[in-house]
Amino acid sequence: MKTKELLKKLEGVHTITSISDLLNVSKQKAAYYIYRLRKAGYVKTKKLRDNRRVYSISFENRLGGSSYYDILNKNSPVKIATPKVYRIYGKEPTLEETLIYAIKTRSLRTILASLALFKKIENWKELYYLAKKNHIERQVGALYDLARKFIRTRKMTKRFRNNALPKEECPFVYMVDNLKSKDFRDIEKTWRTYLPFNTADLEDYK
Amino acid sequence: MISIEEQQKLFVEISRRLNKEITVYAIGGTAMMFLGIKDSTLDIDLVFETERDKEVFKEAIQPLGYSNMDSAVVYGGKSNTPEMMKRGDERFDLFVINVIDFIFSDTMRQRAEQIHQFGTNLILKVADPHDIILMKCATDRLKDRDDAKKIIESRKIDWQIIVDEAKKQIKLGKTNTAWALGYFLEDLKNDLKIEVPQKILDELFKILESQVEKRDKSI
Repeated sequence: MKTKELLKKLEGVHTITSISDLLNVSKQKAAYYIYRLRKAGYVKTKKLRDNRRVYSISFENRLGGSSYYDILNKNSPVKIATPKVYRIYGKEPTLEETLIYAIKTRSLRTILASLALFKKIENWKELYYLAKKNHIERQVGALYDLARKFIRTRKMTKRFRNNALPKEECPFVYMVDNLKSKDFRDIEKTWRTYLPFNTADLEDYK
Repeated sequence: MISIEEQQKLFVEISRRLNKEITVYAIGGTAMMFLGIKDSTLDIDLVFETERDKEVFKEAIQPLGYSNMDSAVVYGGKSNTPEMMKRGDERFDLFVINVIDFIFSDTMRQRAEQIHQFGTNLILKVADPHDIILMKCATDRLKDRDDAKKIIESRKIDWQIIVDEAKKQIKLGKTNTAWALGYFLEDLKNDLKIEVPQKILDELFKILESQVEKRDKSI
């Protein structure tokens, strides 16, 4: 079987057993197929606690690079499946860039996962620069205040807060279209930004 | 020929030399490589949103040894040919919005969902497979038909997207689209034995007929 054909048939997450069942071949032959796919760069392997191996087989593995979703999944208790391909090469994306990307997706789950980044974010200067560039300073501030209620975070600098806080007359903005919070109205009022979460949504952070 | 890995290294190198952030759309073999349909390509076809972005990109690749090449060698007397830069047997075809007889429209840009960022300054968006077929029809060089065949065989094609885009192109003033696309798809069907639904060819022919009728009335 050609490697491309194998890739097409086996794309997804597998164990040796699932491959041998799927292709109706012996485990030895299945291991050989994995070897061939790995050689072409299509396989990522993870060892489970019981020493079994799980193989993630996809064309994207060959492309290499990293993605914002990899960083979110590495740092957050809320895991997300990659909804679309956004790969970065030649540099490691920073946590600050990842947070900005997450807010810009306007996806509820991605934003929820990004709250965990505040545990490690410490370059407030870069974060403010990126937030300002993307006109989302208020969203960053509101998420920070929300994260502080559930997790230990690094402290936001006064300069960031003072510069990002909106004026009284600023109209409210949505982070996710038409979603408001019932439980965090105080934060929403401060940042004039509607938060798309209620307390129950933040179960994973407790 | 340039492989996936070599191409990535090249783009990272280029991004380091760019003095501003630019977004480009990959439309040909490069797009097919990112989609896993091809392993290597001769020419890297890129579409820029502005002339300025193209110039910035050109300035970045010139120090890497790329030099200008006459586009007539590959595209003959076609209109809206790209600016071509060559190094050894690798080549960049640099288009700005117009790709021969087609426009890289806003709907095409919206469909280009896959994003690859190289360094800080180079954002490359990969054209949707349907639009790559359309662009293959536009460039219609040697091998473009084989590439279109590969795409059709490896992806589920929603032919209506292609017809709708053809209609859009006509609205944008590219009146030759229905003719070029119909001819291209018919060739794929007859010569390369690809299953192109007859309904789609008929629809393109109808568009063509109505264009002729309109023109006759105006005369």
